[in-house]
Amino acid sequence: MGTVAPEKILRELADLWLSVGKRGQNDDASGVLRACTMTLVVLTEAGDESGTLGETIAALMPEHPARTIIIRLTGAGERTLAERVYQQCWMPFGQRRQICCEQIEITASDDAVADLPPVVLPLVVADLPVIVWCRSPRFVDHLEVAHKVIVDSAAFPLNRLAGTRDYILGDLAWTRLTRWRQMLAQIFENRENLAALDRVATVTIQHPGGSPTSSAFYLGAWVKDCLPQVEVKFVPGTWTGKAEAPLVIGIVLEGEGISVELARWEDRMVTTINGLAQCVNLPLVTEYNLMREELAIVRHDPVFEKTLASALRLAYPKDK
Amino acid sequence: MPTENPFQDPLRFERQAPECAAVIFGANGDLTKRKLLPALYRLAYDRRLTAGFAVVGISRTPMTDDQFRQKMLEAVKEFSEDTNFDENVWRAFATGLFYVAGDIADPALYQRLAAKLNEIESSRHTGGNVLFYLSTQPSQYAPIAQSLGAAGLAKGNGWRRLIVEKPFGHDLASARELSDRLHEHFDESSVYRIDHYLGKETVQNILAFRFGNGIFEPLWNRRYINHIQITGAESIGVEDRGAYYEEAGALDDMIQNHLLQVMATIAMEPSASFRATSVRDERSKLLRSIRPMKPDEIRVNTVAGQYGAGNVGGKQLSGYRQEAKVAPDSQTDTYAAVTFFVENWRWAGVPFYIRTGKRLPKRVTEIAIQFNPAPLTIFDEDDGDRAPNLLVVRIQPDEGISLKFLSKRPGSGMNLRPVSMDFNYGSSFGERSPSAYETLLLDAIIGDATLYTRQDMVEASWAVVEPIQNEWRSTKLDFPNYPAGSWGPAAADEMLARRGHTWRRP
Repeated sequence: MGTVAPEKILRELADLWLSVGKRGQNDDASGVLRACTMTLVVLTEAGDESGTLGETIAALMPEHPARTIIIRLTGAGERTLAERVYQQCWMPFGQRRQICCEQIEITASDDAVADLPPVVLPLVVADLPVIVWCRSPRFVDHLEVAHKVIVDSAAFPLNRLAGTRDYILGDLAWTRLTRWRQMLAQIFENRENLAALDRVATVTIQHPGGSPTSSAFYLGAWVKDCLPQVEVKFVPGTWTGKAEAPLVIGIVLEGEGISVELARWEDRMVTTINGLAQCVNLPLVTEYNLMREELAIVRHDPVFEKTLASALRLAYPKDK
Repeated sequence: MPTENPFQDPLRFERQAPECAAVIFGANGDLTKRKLLPALYRLAYDRRLTAGFAVVGISRTPMTDDQFRQKMLEAVKEFSEDTNFDENVWRAFATGLFYVAGDIADPALYQRLAAKLNEIESSRHTGGNVLFYLSTQPSQYAPIAQSLGAAGLAKGNGWRRLIVEKPFGHDLASARELSDRLHEHFDESSVYRIDHYLGKETVQNILAFRFGNGIFEPLWNRRYINHIQITGAESIGVEDRGAYYEEAGALDDMIQNHLLQVMATIAMEPSASFRATSVRDERSKLLRSIRPMKPDEIRVNTVAGQYGAGNVGGKQLSGYRQEAKVAPDSQTDTYAAVTFFVENWRWAGVPFYIRTGKRLPKRVTEIAIQFNPAPLTIFDEDDGDRAPNLLVVRIQPDEGISLKFLSKRPGSGMNLRPVSMDFNYGSSFGERSPSAYETLLLDAIIGDATLYTRQDMVEASWAVVEPIQNEWRSTKLDFPNYPAGSWGPAAADEMLARRGHTWRRP
């Protein structure tokens, strides 16, 4: 049965720094700088594409340097844990000093999940926030050490996020809406449009598939929180783009003398205000974009928390 | 009717500009091409500007809107740093670029500008908001402001703001006169005096470092700090700016504005909030606390320098007097070093050494805060290096903060050696920092004047610089007194040596 000793991992990390430091001296470089602003714990399945995940983490490190602990579940089988320790380094443009972050990968069989907390706890960097990124819905209930937990409710029913919790919650299904929300907000920075806001009576959200996505519920709930007088409708939309359909296809705000529509088309957003259309560049968000935004917020997000409660009421009106 | 946009979410949304038009006087000039348009394009690229944002370029050269767009396209491609050129973003941005040709002394120009702004307001929904940027000769600031006022352009449906570049006058009287003339049509809250040093990310980080942390501020006073050195060094000469530099000199060009603002930021009292008025009040108070010097003090606490010929890396460099458009017997300072004292309880007796110069060994701007030694030396003198604790804030290049302290050398015995703990701004956060002009232009459009210089700050700076200026002008200086590629005149070293200090070699 394979086991993992946290102290051994910490020793390996220390050795790694020593060897990188020595290599830096030999190369006549200016040494190595260790950068760390948080511990990022990534919970993922064995089948998860490791190359894509590695690229996302590598891209996040320059902006959010962290000790990363990737926990990969290998599935059923003998109760076993294994680890490997390595470093991710980069050389900022035009500078001589290497910046490095630590990475620890722990693989565990399903039966060994219960053994993970005592391994992970000593590995978190003291005095810095611990962010847990759940890439698999089945981990959602195993998250005690975290200051913040990031999930993606696109993969599971929204009511799994109901209830109270000790940590801050982030949901990538909400993060995907930031650009939509920002563009909608921008439209009402115009004084004429702002003056017409009271007259908006209905909001229609177009979503892919037969039933609204969690992002669609979030968007509807957020608009309803901002404009309590409106009636929110969800309708299936048609997506003819080449890329995978986004979780929200469009939103229309209508009322006497005002009509605002935001619709996605490939990597463009078409904004139509009272019949006048404008197209702007809006690249499809990647997992990196979403995580970059979420890692920058390690505190309560009152707008999200209020919207989550409203979205649950909208999605499950019969539940208390 | 709602007065506030209920959709705003400041935690998530990047700061965005409200709809407006920016009018740039001197649109054919270097600053527009090198800094302003690349900064505005980058703001558009980052979706910080509204879709209707417009730029009206003004200069004497006849040009159509399309020719202006083509010229600005070339400028953006050539001078945008760390920014990918995106054809789609440019196309949308370029539809908002317009040009009006004319002589700024001609009242008809302002009538044409008014017509153009009206047209833009209705077609691009700019809400009547206009930002005027005066990227012209300083002597034209007041006439342009007055012509804008006379044409009714200083007021309109929305806000009207005026950005002026330094120098803000050439002495205290001219600075006051300039402000008075600007105020005839634009009140002080609408006048934005730009000091691009204050827009630099690291200068702003000084405020975060000092007032966001609890551990440094208790040490930030005469009891623990021995002295402070502020260096703004340039390795280049005056290049093709000889004519301008003959009028300005290092003291006026750098110390009166940029470096005194940096000093104010490093030495100001904590402000009650991070609102523009509070922060600027504290900066202003600090500047007013700097002791103006009498002539006999100026002679021992200031050093003027001018570079002569020198040899750097085998390359022969000419002296300042041999540069184009410079008088062969020029008395202009290309180097200035000043010891300032701040008369308040926090800083009484602590020297602030400020130096700046052309043709110094490297381009570097930094603040070095040297702390007092430990009150009791328990280690023997021969136990190693006794370098003082030093906190260095590097503003450019390699922006960051270093703390130097003593550590035991590994091995038996108690040998000490200094070690440096570095925070590198650009690499600890891999994110691209916005350029100073991006920050400052966005601030002005949003109406945040925190990083802009106020009239009382300008006057307070002149009040301490003008006596030095007068003393230097009344003395025949023995120039040149330092070779190109050196760290300045020997007299500058002697100025510090009198207090037992030495300049850092950054």
